[in-house]
Amino acid sequence: MGDNMKKESKASRYIIPAAIFACGVTFVIIGIADKEVLTVLRKAAAICMECIGLG
Amino acid sequence: MKDIILWVFGIDESALADPVTITAIIATFVVIAAALAALIVLLVKKRFQIRRFGNKVWQRTKLITQACFFMLTNSFMIGWFKGTIYQGKLKYLCVPGMNCYSCPGAWGACPIGSLQAIFNDFDAKKSWVDQKTGTYVKVPKYWFAFYLIGLLMIIGAVCGRFVCGLLCPFGWVQDLLYKIPVKKLRLPRDEMRIANSKHPKAVRFFLGVDKYLRYAKYAFLIIMVIFLPLLVKADPWFCKYVCPSGMLLGGIPLMSMNRSLAAAAGNLTLLKLCILASLTVISLFLYRPFCRYICPLGAIYSFFNKVSLYRYGIDDASCNRAKGCAACAHACPMGVDPVRDPNSLECIRCGTCAASCPKKAIRPGFRFKTAEGNAIRTKKSK
Ligand code: SF4
Ligand code: SF4
Repeated sequence: MGDNMKKESKASRYIIPAAIFACGVTFVIIGIADKEVLTVLRKAAAICMECIGLG
Repeated sequence: MKDIILWVFGIDESALADPVTITAIIATFVVIAAALAALIVLLVKKRFQIRRFGNKVWQRTKLITQACFFMLTNSFMIGWFKGTIYQGKLKYLCVPGMNCYSCPGAWGACPIGSLQAIFNDFDAKKSWVDQKTGTYVKVPKYWFAFYLIGLLMIIGAVCGRFVCGLLCPFGWVQDLLYKIPVKKLRLPRDEMRIANSKHPKAVRFFLGVDKYLRYAKYAFLIIMVIFLPLLVKADPWFCKYVCPSGMLLGGIPLMSMNRSLAAAAGNLTLLKLCILASLTVISLFLYRPFCRYICPLGAIYSFFNKVSLYRYGIDDASCNRAKGCAACAHACPMGVDPVRDPNSLECIRCGTCAASCPKKAIRPGFRFKTAEGNAIRTKKSK
């Protein structure tokens, strides 16, 4: 029982976050390849009129 | 070295002829050094060991950490000095918290603003003019924001809503407002206290309202950050009609330093100022109203609380709950009972419960066993 609990904890403690992390890294790479970052930069490097209430 | 500075600050060489720019660059280094020095002192003094020094010391440590993180991520002093914003390449990256990219000091992009920007982008080749109505029909360029969602998954997988507790500038502002000594609105949570209160029916009613209002942040996320920008109109809906962080960190400083921007103020400015003013007043009485009910970023991070690497756990062998202790639940400013659900979606990882527990039974961190070998429960209690 104790051993089972330990195994279960270990899995949820480390493997799930590691899998989400790896998935996140893959998504970021896909996003960079798809030039999403350019959209982010284009928006972020100019004053966003909507954000500051002038939009 | 000079080239690196020019690249980091996103300026060209001619800008260095301006004494204001030079002063601002020096000020930037001073601010960053001060923030790092403060964090190192806290680290050396072991102040991040939440349970070690009690709640008073932890609250101070928390506020200093939040201030330092704000200084690190908003220290583009050229912007603060000149009423402009940073336009360099670091803005490819998002900061973890709700930090408007139009803040004069912001080095990075806001994740929620960027998410809407990606959904707002349209494919010029596929878009077309509707002959009947004469309107330009925009076809979204991206149906899924891989880059942004990937970044949020990375942050979420590591620390979940820890970002809300310690790293978000708008969370920090609300924490500071709540420090102002006025009577606080804090409802009892356990049955005995509710029954013993002056108006148990009213308490139950407000607890119900609070419970259901908390779902509103998921509605803001789905409707104003995803659905409307992607499918209805290419506008940053949340930033434009709701976000008080944009007004506070971007609008007010920029308009106060830049007359042409101030001259453009209109009804939208008024709306956003009213939202900001209302939240400011509510924050004096109620802990973090924006994070509780509105913030779409908090809504995203909340999904990671139960699966992130950094998690809260309970050492049931030390916990005195069976003997009637509920110090942690009474201390929690977000109305969570950490013993019942240590990784609740509403927990912002502020550490107050762990610092307040007399038995030191709440274990924030990465482990699943205490040093004494007791199991740490990260799941809900039955
Ligand atoms: S809920 Fe939103 S505003 Fe509040 S601390 Fe988290 S990210 Fe910041
Ligand atoms: S349970 Fe409450 S007090 Fe504890 S970390 Fe979460 S929000 Fe803070």
